[in-house]
Amino acid sequence: MARALEDIRVVDISLSAAGAWTSRLLADAGADVILVEPQDGHPLRALAPFDAKGRSIPAANFLANKRAVSLDLDVPRSRRYALDIIKKADVVVSSRSPARLAEIDMTYEDLGRPSLVMAHVTAHGMTGPLAETAGNDLTSAARSGWASINGNADREPLKPAGWASSYCAGVVAYAGVVAALRWRDLHEGEGQEVDVAEAEVMAGAFAPAFLGAQYRGAAGRRRESADLMGGPVEVADGHFALTLSRAHFWRDAMNVLGLADLAEDERFGTSWYRQQHKDEYTDRVQEAMRGWEKMALFDELAVRRVVAGPVLTMAELHGLDHLRERGFWRRPDNQQDGPDYPGPAYRMTETPSTLGRRPPRAGEHTFNVLRTLNNVTDDHLLTLAESGVIGHRYPEDAR
Amino acid sequence: MSGPLGGPLAGTRGIVLTQAWAGAYCTSLLAMLGADVVQVEVRKRPDSWRGDYATPLPPALADVETAEHSWNCNPLYNSVNLGKRCVTLDLADARGLDTFKRLLTHADFCAENFSPRVMGNFGLDYERMREVKPDIILASLSAYGHTGPWANVPGIGGTIEPSSGMSALLGYEGGPPLNSGQMYPDAVAGFNACAAIITALRHRDRTGQGQFIDLSMQEASLAWAGDAFLEYALTGEQRPRMGNRHHTFAPHGVYPAAGDDRWVALACETEGQWRALDALAGAGWADDPRFATMGDRKAHEDDLDATIRAWTVPQERDALAARLVEAGVVAAAVHDALEVAADAALRERGVVIEVEHPETGRWPQVALPMHFSRTRTEPPRHAPLQGQHTHEVLAELLGMDAAEVDELVSAGVSGMGPPD
Repeated sequence: MARALEDIRVVDISLSAAGAWTSRLLADAGADVILVEPQDGHPLRALAPFDAKGRSIPAANFLANKRAVSLDLDVPRSRRYALDIIKKADVVVSSRSPARLAEIDMTYEDLGRPSLVMAHVTAHGMTGPLAETAGNDLTSAARSGWASINGNADREPLKPAGWASSYCAGVVAYAGVVAALRWRDLHEGEGQEVDVAEAEVMAGAFAPAFLGAQYRGAAGRRRESADLMGGPVEVADGHFALTLSRAHFWRDAMNVLGLADLAEDERFGTSWYRQQHKDEYTDRVQEAMRGWEKMALFDELAVRRVVAGPVLTMAELHGLDHLRERGFWRRPDNQQDGPDYPGPAYRMTETPSTLGRRPPRAGEHTFNVLRTLNNVTDDHLLTLAESGVIGHRYPEDAR
Repeated sequence: MSGPLGGPLAGTRGIVLTQAWAGAYCTSLLAMLGADVVQVEVRKRPDSWRGDYATPLPPALADVETAEHSWNCNPLYNSVNLGKRCVTLDLADARGLDTFKRLLTHADFCAENFSPRVMGNFGLDYERMREVKPDIILASLSAYGHTGPWANVPGIGGTIEPSSGMSALLGYEGGPPLNSGQMYPDAVAGFNACAAIITALRHRDRTGQGQFIDLSMQEASLAWAGDAFLEYALTGEQRPRMGNRHHTFAPHGVYPAAGDDRWVALACETEGQWRALDALAGAGWADDPRFATMGDRKAHEDDLDATIRAWTVPQERDALAARLVEAGVVAAAVHDALEVAADAALRERGVVIEVEHPETGRWPQVALPMHFSRTRTEPPRHAPLQGQHTHEVLAELLGMDAAEVDELVSAGVSGMGPPD
């Protein structure tokens, strides 16, 4: 089976989860991705939670499927080896601000290759008043509007859980890189810079709530309390979302819950009436739902084609026949003894996503890459490692 | 006049059946990247984000003279369809289906987000589409994908968020699972489907081979919580709901400022940032043994948050956020949607732009969150009115004259607004 980017080499000099996800997606699409990480390790490697061997789980997720080279870009003697690798690359992924790139002489102009595609994945972008301002998933949620609508009205605003803006900026930058590569294919030698900001991507994801607020002249707020339209409510063994957005969803769901009088009440057939008169039914519906287990209720509603969602944990998802039958779980080709990784976000029939490599140890491929790509001799590599210019040699790399 | 915009996908065309959020946003992103995206809509079943024909105009547009048809004035639809053209065709009618297939011969890609059996019912599953256009790329976005026991189970963002593991992760510490304030899985699916189609376009260019893309919103959302899945796989533990907290960094939260619903997000990811925060507060926090190291701060996070909260709560939000940013702390004011619209950085970089719409008037909108140094994109056009480009597109691509198109309209196969 073909791999979409099998002809592409990527050098990832980024230090963020968003940059790492960009290059992880490029790797999954078949590119040869070389992670250039500081000699004290990519910053993700220091982040909890850790597995039983003390290895960072975020690092395992974001750095998998790449080769890793230990070089310090702040140190000119070390950096020159990174620049040599970049000469053999099609794509560079960076998370540094304009000033930080200039300090290490690694701006797009410095790299001096018009055919290069360089992706900048930063908190706020490479231009504008915030180009040098630090940011993360928390501030992207704050600046984009997401935090203002997540959570409860009587509590503080909530960021989306986990690394939301990193994942979203990562796939947007991935899309930009592939679009730029396609352009380069069609217009020989024309590379370019792709500039993706985490806060802007989250603002893109916020577009519907954004425009609704403009038309109304009033911003949306966080919900007053858990309600049927707003998200999960309690059932016997957990939580369950019943969004009831169409007339037949309402009718069928009320019949399943044994609330025939509500099902037959024609006034509730329209969504605006249901919204206006929530108080007339919410308590009864929630009481009826508490008598159901989540998967039993889901199955009953699914048969009637009513949209509904049980709140599932990772263990429950891992046990689902549906995901197993679709072959969602996968293991790196060189780590068949586990753990399972989630599959790709989408399936492509001709160029499927692949997970060839387990996450690299810090600088695991320094010698291998410098030997094969830069033609540095083993003797010289050992000298460089002893003098701290490059990372150390891993035993399995010994020839 | 309403042809494709500039950008890296200039010269590429999509004939698409996307609707609501996930699919519509995917194809709007492609349009903003320069593809000519022609949205084909069925009048009998309008895009659900236009609302149904009986929906009243949004009250806020009551005084806008040009605001005439509610289905052209829905902010949901208008937010995620920038840059497209819109043609109406009844695909249940043989003439409509035939016209659609003729349009498809001019397409590089198609995308749809009906439930999986709908396209087959139209006679437009991937195999039959390939008979019309052998190298076509088709992206199907659905709740649970096109195969597996749940393939025909319906779902929307608000039910996929729980069934993908996302809701179990979102919420306050010790509190119940929550859904996001709007249906975040749709945006995730839209970004991913856009990436998939661009990937497929490159492969098609290089090999002549189209392909089918099966995007399950459940899987896309679960992949977007991949680190939390891996945490379970490697430790056997379900990650608890953490509010705004971080596994490693403290402080990492949203703190109240003076006034009603005014908040500042702040985090210290390094000792330097912590010292900067301490200096700003001037209260000797750094000398407190509970807060000496990142590990200490994490271990005493409740105390730390209470301490910071007491300091932020009387302060004016924007001045505080500005001082924090100036000091190098990772910080930002929590902006609501109206404040996002006024954000100077988003304006300067062309991500928030003013868009003129023929019915609703001029409004700020969020455009493409990507910037290209060579293949610069143009500010996108407004979301199309229903059927706005039927004559234009059928003439341009199929060479149909006005009389032929009028015939489709009078037969109810095309047209605008509620079917007769």
